[in-house]
Amino acid sequence: MSALRLRGVSKRYPGGAEVLTAVDLEVHPGDVIGVMGDNGSGKTTLLKILVGLSLPTAGTVSGRPPIVAYVPERFPSHHRMSALSYLRHMGRIRGLSTRTADALARELLDRLALAGGETTALRRLSKGNAQKVALAQALLVRPHLLVLDEPWSGLDASAHGVLGELIDEVAQAGGAVVFTDHRESVVAANASTGVRIDQGRVAPERLRSSTVHSGAAEVELVPGSDGPPAAVDWSALPGILEVRGRPGVVAVRVTDEHCDRVLFTAIRQGWSVASVRRTSWKPADAWDGGR
Amino acid sequence: MTALVRYTVSGLVRSQRYLPPALLFVTAVVVLTTNDFGPLVGSYAGCALAQFVCLVWLTITVVNTEDPIQRSMTAVAAGSSQRVLLASVVTALGACACLTVVGTVYPIWGGRHTVTGAAVAVGVGAQLVAGLAGIAVGLVCSRLVVPRPGYALVVALGLIGVLIVIPPVPPIGPVMRLLSSERAPEAMVGPLLVQFAIAAAMLVIATVVTQSVARRRE
Repeated sequence: MSALRLRGVSKRYPGGAEVLTAVDLEVHPGDVIGVMGDNGSGKTTLLKILVGLSLPTAGTVSGRPPIVAYVPERFPSHHRMSALSYLRHMGRIRGLSTRTADALARELLDRLALAGGETTALRRLSKGNAQKVALAQALLVRPHLLVLDEPWSGLDASAHGVLGELIDEVAQAGGAVVFTDHRESVVAANASTGVRIDQGRVAPERLRSSTVHSGAAEVELVPGSDGPPAAVDWSALPGILEVRGRPGVVAVRVTDEHCDRVLFTAIRQGWSVASVRRTSWKPADAWDGGR
Repeated sequence: MTALVRYTVSGLVRSQRYLPPALLFVTAVVVLTTNDFGPLVGSYAGCALAQFVCLVWLTITVVNTEDPIQRSMTAVAAGSSQRVLLASVVTALGACACLTVVGTVYPIWGGRHTVTGAAVAVGVGAQLVAGLAGIAVGLVCSRLVVPRPGYALVVALGLIGVLIVIPPVPPIGPVMRLLSSERAPEAMVGPLLVQFAIAAAMLVIATVVTQSVARRRE
């Protein structure tokens, strides 16, 4: 899959000022790009151009992959159809069978812990729950390009972690993820690359490490209680400095920056974290780290 | 496309917003054609007029049921906003077909007429012409083209007025005059086909205009 390229993209709404000016941006498979910027800086417009909803007034967009998913900042709906029924329709629109769409929708809503259940009408969902449904519709079919507008706003704390996991899964499967957030800490904790929009211009942004302390953490992993864990090529994960093993235990040394990611991966694959050795290391909430 | 149409129909049905225009149509057909003893095609003129007005309303309802942001998500899922608009048009055409069945059968049952195949065919044709024109007007009065509901209402009433009140403007005026004329139903088929072609062209143009205006605004 080739990269999505924006070349000299500008956008001016009819009768308005220029929102984006000569934007160059490349989104490669596996990238997680965090877009920072103040309110009204053009973040949403950039995302709309990326997914193809909005046409640039100048410049070109090339290499948009076939399966694109979009989660807007708000998901207002007047629909009386239930969350599950909506996801079933979205799945079918994306080419899934009713049965597969149902199963995937239930699984995603389960992971996101949709309070009030899947039978609640869309119009009755709270902002956070509507956001979960919007997220679920984007992930029914694994996207090549996942675009999320302020995805952390409105979600409850438990869903924050799941969102990070879901972003990770898309990127690890070779999909590209682009999201916006106005907080640098959030971008640093979740993105591999950061860009900042300021007055319509996009510039790369060096991300601070997601944790306050620099250095490494030593993580000891043992098989979890749910049966034998999946085999993981630890050395292939980002930020791994060293992998040691003795029967039944794996010890990895990982940079602070990537420690949370390695823990996430380990737990997801059925490992249990026996210890994390670092005097100054604390399992800071990924989305709050660095504040 | 089938999945998209199913989704559009489902949203419309659950919203129940189709009911006011549908009930208006049924009421108009009952009032205009019950105990009518004149020629059958004359009864169908009233049905076609009702079909036109109700389909303008219904089409606006079909397009506006989905919130713009939700519509943009559907467009991304479907691959393009054009497909979402086409699904709305297909849904409106389905509604037109349903109303046409009612508007064709009820006048035969509710009045006393000499029923011939040609007269029924003319009735169906006239209602389809009116329906297509109604969908065309409805599209350009939808939120995609006229975002503010007040202006949309004014534009819709204006266009309905122009098409009904000024007889030479095709296709509603000419169809009304044709159905009220003394001609035999068999002789009406030819002119009706011309108006059908005009209405179909109107619908295509309205779809293209709506899509390009909506696209430019995004």
